[in-house]
Amino acid sequence: MRGAIGTLALGCGFALLSLAPVAAVLFAALGGETRAFGSGALLDLALAHLRLAGLGALAGIALGVALGLLVTRADGGDWRRPVDALAAAAQATPPMVVVALALPAFGFGDLPTVLALVLYTLMPVLRGTVAAIEAVAPDARAAAVAIGLTPWQVLCRVDLPLAWPLLLPALRVAVMLAVATTAVGALAGAATLGTPIILGLQNRNDLYIFQGAAATAAIAFLADGALLMLKRDGLRRNRRKV
Amino acid sequence: MAAVIAFEDVSVAYGGRDGLRDVTLEVAAGELCVLVGPSGAGKSTLLRLVNRLVAPSAGVVRVRGEDIARNDPIRLRRSIGYAIQSVGLFPHRTVGENIATVPRLLGWPEPRIAARIPELLALLRLDADLAARYPHTLSGGQAQRVGLARALAADPDLLLMDEPFGAADPILRRALRAELRRIHAVTGKTILLVTHDAEEALELATRVVVLRDGRVLAAGAPLELIRAADPFVRDLLGGDAPALRRLGLVTVAAAMAATAAPAGAPVIAPGASLSDALSLMLETRAEVLAVGEDGRTLGSLGLPGLLRAVPMPAPA
Repeated sequence: MRGAIGTLALGCGFALLSLAPVAAVLFAALGGETRAFGSGALLDLALAHLRLAGLGALAGIALGVALGLLVTRADGGDWRRPVDALAAAAQATPPMVVVALALPAFGFGDLPTVLALVLYTLMPVLRGTVAAIEAVAPDARAAAVAIGLTPWQVLCRVDLPLAWPLLLPALRVAVMLAVATTAVGALAGAATLGTPIILGLQNRNDLYIFQGAAATAAIAFLADGALLMLKRDGLRRNRRKV
Repeated sequence: MAAVIAFEDVSVAYGGRDGLRDVTLEVAAGELCVLVGPSGAGKSTLLRLVNRLVAPSAGVVRVRGEDIARNDPIRLRRSIGYAIQSVGLFPHRTVGENIATVPRLLGWPEPRIAARIPELLALLRLDADLAARYPHTLSGGQAQRVGLARALAADPDLLLMDEPFGAADPILRRALRAELRRIHAVTGKTILLVTHDAEEALELATRVVVLRDGRVLAAGAPLELIRAADPFVRDLLGGDAPALRRLGLVTVAAAMAATAAPAGAPVIAPGASLSDALSLMLETRAEVLAVGEDGRTLGSLGLPGLLRAVPMPAPA
C-alpha cells in the first residue's frame, strides 16, 4: 500500500507539471518557450489517451493471460515455443511500424493504435503468466486435482490466486508499456497525448513536447499506482512455501 | 466381506518403470492394506488408479463394485480421501478452509462444515485454534496431520495414502503411524497406503501387498508374509533380522501365560510387542516378566513362552 501511495503522488506531480500555467512558468524561468498547450484541450487528450491505452492493455492482457494459461495446461505444452516466439516477434516490431502498416488496412484513427498496443504488451504478459503459473506449488495443484476439483476450479481456486503475486508485476509492465506507447497513435491520427508532442515537433515548441510527455508520465504512474493497490496483504503470504 | 477396491487384470503401460502388468487384487472393507516394494515397482501407480489419476491401459478397476471408467472422475475423487507425502495444503487458505475443501465441494451446509472442522482437529489431536492459521505457520508434523484431516473431512469410507509420512522425521513418523492405527481402529475406514518402508508396512498393515516390477509378488497378513517362500519378499520384509521383525508383530497378550510371575519381576503391558518384551528381558536380566496394566497383574511371560509364540521355519 505504501508503494502505491508514492507512485500515485508521483503521478499527481507529473500531472501538475503538465498543466499550462505551471509548465509555462517553469519554462519562462528557464528562458524557454512560453506558448503553452491549453489545459482544457490537454485534459481531453489525456482522457482519450487513457481510454485507448486501457483498451489496448486490456486486450493485450486478456490475450496474453489466455495464451499463457493455455500453454501451461497439461496438454498445451506443444504450443509453448511457437506461441512464445510469436509474442517475441510482436514485441520486436516497433509500434511505429505496426501503426504504419495497419494504416492501409484499418484507416486513420484508434484501431491501428489498439493493434500496436496488443502486439506490444503481449510478450510481457504471456511470459509473466507462464512464469507465475509455473511457480505455483505443484503439490498443491496435484492435491487439488486428486481431491476432486474440476479443471476450472483448479484454475480459479488454486492456480490464479497462487500465481497472482507474480502475475501482477507482469500486468504492471504491460500497462506501463501501453500508456507510453499510446502516444505513437497520434501518428495515425488518434487523439492521444502524442498529439501535443507531434505539434511541438512540427512547430519547434519544446513546451508542447514537455507537456505531452509529462501528462503521459502522469497517466502511467497513476495507472501503476492503481494496480499496486491490488497487491493485497493477504496475497503476500502465498510466496512462502507451505 | 465385499471388496471396496478390485483390480481385475489391470495393466498400465509406461516405458519401463512404474508400469503395472496384469494385477488382480481386492481390498476388503475395513482393511488397512499396505502396498510395499522398491521404488519403480508401481505402488503409486496402483494407488492412483483408484481415483483415476492414472488410467489403466487394460483391465478394470472397481470401486465399491462399480467400474470407475464408466463414472464421473470428479465425483469419484470427492468420495475418496487422499493424502500424499508432500501434503499439498493450499498455502492461500487457512487450515480450516483447507479442511473444509471437499465438504464445500460437496455442498454441505455451512453449519455442518463449521462443526466438522473442530471435530477433525480433535481427532488428529490438533489445537482448535489452528483452524484460523495459514499453512506456512505450521510445523511439519502439524501440516501432515492437517493433510490427513483434509483427507478425512467429508468422512469418506475409503482413504488413499501415498507415502503419507515420507517427509516426517523418524520420531514424528512413529507418532503418526500410531495415530493412523488409532484412527483406523476408531473409524473402521478402508485404507490403501503406499510405502517403501517394510517396517512401516508390517507395523501398519492388516494386509501387506508386495510389488516388484509392476507385478504383485505376494499378498497376505504381515506375519504370514514375513516367512514367505519367495526370497525377495522375505528379504524385503524381514530385513537383516527377520526373527526380530516377527517378534515385533506379536503382542505380549498373545504369548503370555496365566501363571503369576515371581515377585519383583519387571512389568510389561499386554499391548507391547514381543520385541519390547525381549528387550526388557535383556535390559533387566530377567527371564520372566510380569504382564500387567494400570496396577493389575494379568499373568506372566517367560523366555520359553516367548520363543514358542513365534515358530520359525525349519532351517534349510
